[in-house]
Amino acid sequence: MTEASMIGLLEATVSFGALLYLAALGEMVAEKAGILNLGVEGMMAMGAVTGFAVALQTGNPWVALIAAVAAGALIGLLHGFFTVVLGAEQVVSGLSLTILGLGLSAYVGRGSVGQPAGAELVGVDWGPLSDIPWAGPVLFAQSPLVYLAVIAGFVAWFVLWRTRLGLAVRAAGESASTADAAGHSVAGIRLAAVAVGGGLAGAAGAYLTLSLTPQWAEGIVAGRGWIAVALVIFGAWRPGRVAAGALLFGLTLALKTRLQTFGVDFSPILLSMLPYVLTVGVLVAISIRSRNRPSPAPAALGIAYRREER
Amino acid sequence: MGRPVLVRREQVLRGGQPLAFAIGLGVALVVGLVLLVGSGHDPLRVYERMFEASLGDPRAWSVTLNRAVPLGLAGLAVAVAGSMGLWNIGAEGQIMAGAIGAAWVARIGGEWPSPVLITAMLAAAILGGGLLALGPAVARARIGVNEIITTLMLNEVAIRLVQWLVHGHWKDPGSNNFPLAPMLPDNARLPGLFERAHFGVVLAAVVIALFGVAASRTAWGYELRVAGSSGATARYAGISFERKVMTVLILSGGVAGFAGGIELSGAADRITEGLSNGFGFAGIIVAALALMRPSGVAAVAVLFGAVQIGGQSIQTMGVSSSVSTILQALILFGAIAAGVLSRYRVEMVAADGPASGPVDGVADGAEEAS
Repeated sequence: MTEASMIGLLEATVSFGALLYLAALGEMVAEKAGILNLGVEGMMAMGAVTGFAVALQTGNPWVALIAAVAAGALIGLLHGFFTVVLGAEQVVSGLSLTILGLGLSAYVGRGSVGQPAGAELVGVDWGPLSDIPWAGPVLFAQSPLVYLAVIAGFVAWFVLWRTRLGLAVRAAGESASTADAAGHSVAGIRLAAVAVGGGLAGAAGAYLTLSLTPQWAEGIVAGRGWIAVALVIFGAWRPGRVAAGALLFGLTLALKTRLQTFGVDFSPILLSMLPYVLTVGVLVAISIRSRNRPSPAPAALGIAYRREER
Repeated sequence: MGRPVLVRREQVLRGGQPLAFAIGLGVALVVGLVLLVGSGHDPLRVYERMFEASLGDPRAWSVTLNRAVPLGLAGLAVAVAGSMGLWNIGAEGQIMAGAIGAAWVARIGGEWPSPVLITAMLAAAILGGGLLALGPAVARARIGVNEIITTLMLNEVAIRLVQWLVHGHWKDPGSNNFPLAPMLPDNARLPGLFERAHFGVVLAAVVIALFGVAASRTAWGYELRVAGSSGATARYAGISFERKVMTVLILSGGVAGFAGGIELSGAADRITEGLSNGFGFAGIIVAALALMRPSGVAAVAVLFGAVQIGGQSIQTMGVSSSVSTILQALILFGAIAAGVLSRYRVEMVAADGPASGPVDGVADGAEEAS
C-alpha cells in the first residue's frame, strides 16, 4: 500500500462522507420535526438532474447548485403537503416520492445522458494549507460542497439545540400537541423542516453531478439516499455522531473500488453491505439500551398531527 | 379571511376507495399528458397504445397478468403486515431472497421431475423470504425495534447478496466473463397458461384469495386486526401480541419470497440482480391503494401491471420509460389525496382560530392523534 493510494483513500472517504452527510443532515432535520421522509433517494435524483441541467444552460456551477437545492426543497414539499397538510401515511408518501423523483429525473435528463457537465464545482485551493502533506490533499483540496456540508452540520446543531426556533422544531417532533399549545405552528415548522431536508438532499444530488462524477446518468444516486436514511439512525439523530457515521460509511464507499489495489482479497460487494448491516446492529443496540433510558428517536416521528383531533 | 382546515366526516364517503383510485388515475393521466406534449408526442395515440398493449387483447392481458403476479404477491405481503399495523418495507429484498432460495434448489435439482423441482423451488423461496424477515420480526417482537428501518436496510443486503452470487460462485463458466448465472433448466420453468401467461397467475390468485378469506372470515384474521388496533386489548383478550407480530412479519416475508420464486420460475431465464425491478416497492403502493385488504390487492395489482406493461410498450414510440414510472407515483399521490378527502371535508375557519372549540393548552392531556 503506497502513500499515494492511502491519501487517495482518505480523500475519497471525506468526499463520500460529505455527500452522505448532506443528505443525512437533511433527513435528520425533517425527522427531528416528526416527519419521516423515505424520499431521499428521489430528492437526490431531482437535485442531481436539476444541477446538471442548469449547469448546462448557464455554465455557472453556483447557480446550478442553488437550482438543485430549490428543486430538492420543492419536491420535498410535495411530501410535506401530503403528510403535514393532508396527514397521509408518511411511509407511503415518502416511497412514492422516491419513485416520482427517480421517474421525473430520468424524464428531465433523458436527452443528456453521457454528456459532460456544463460546469463543475472544482476543488478549493486553500493556498499553503493545500500543500501540507496528507492533510492538504485530504482536507484542503475538496469540492466546495464538502466545506458547505461541514458548515451545514454546525448550523443544524446550533439552530436545533441553541435557539428558540430549534426548540420549537424539536418540540414538534417530540410532542406536536405540546408545541401547538406553546403557540408554535406545528404544520409550518414541519413543512419548513421537510423543505430544508429536501434542499440538503438536493445539494447532495448536485454534488454527484457537479463534483463527484460530473455527468448525468439514470440511477446515479445508486442507493446512497437509503444510506443517508440509515445514517440518521446510526448517528442517533445527533449532527456530530451522524458526521462520524458519514465518514465511516464514506470509507466503505471509498474502499469499494480500492480493495483490489490494496491487495485485499475481499469482495467489494460484500463490503458494500456493511452500512446497512451496521445500521441494523445500531438500531438493535439502541432498542436494548433504551429499556432503561429514553430512545433517541423523536417520539412523534411518523405520526400525523391534526389539531382538531387531539 | 379564513384558512382551510380538514374536518373529519361523520361518515366516510361511500365507494371512496375505487373513486380515489379513479381520481388518482385521472390526475396521473392529465400530468402525463403535459409530459408527453412536452416531449413532442401525441398523448392520445400514446395512451391508446398503452391500453392496447396492456389490456387490448388476450395476448396483452397475458403479459399484464404475468406482471400483476409479483406486484400482487408483494402487495399481499405488505398488506398482511399492514393489517396489524406493521410496515414491511422489505418485500424488495425478500423477493430476492426467495429467488436465491429457488435458484439454489434449481441448481441441485436439475434432474428431478418438473413438478417436484418446482414445488421444492417455491418452498425454498418461501423459506428464503421468511428467513430475511426473521431478524426484523424477532427484533420487533422481543425488543421493539422499528421494523420499517430494519426491513428497509435488509433490501440492500439481499440485492447485494444476489450481486455477489452472480459475480462469484454462481457465475456461468460459459458466460464469457459476464456476471451471469446459468439459465434455469427447462424442468424448473412453470408451465404456461394461455398466450404468454404462466401458471404463476393461478398460484398467485389462489394465495391472495386464501389470505383474503383468512383475513376477513377467520378468528386468526380477527385477532390480527385486534392486535393491530391495540396491543393492550389483544393481551387482555389472551392474544399474544409478541407471537402475532413475529408470525405476521415472517409470513409477510414468506409471501414476498414466494413472489420471487414464481418470478424466477415463471418469468425470468435466470437469477439476476435486476430480478425484482422495484416490485417490492410497488407492492407497498398496491397495498396502500387496497387499504391493506387482501381482497383489493389483486385488482390494484392488475391495474398497476397494466400501467407498467403499457409504459414499456410505448418505448418503441420513442417515449421514455420514465413516463410510466411517473404515472405510477402520481396515481398514488392522487389517490392519497382523494382518500383523505373521502374521510375529511375542507372547511374554512377564522384565520386565527381552530375549527371547533378553543385550544386550551395541554390541560386536556393532548395525545398525538394518529
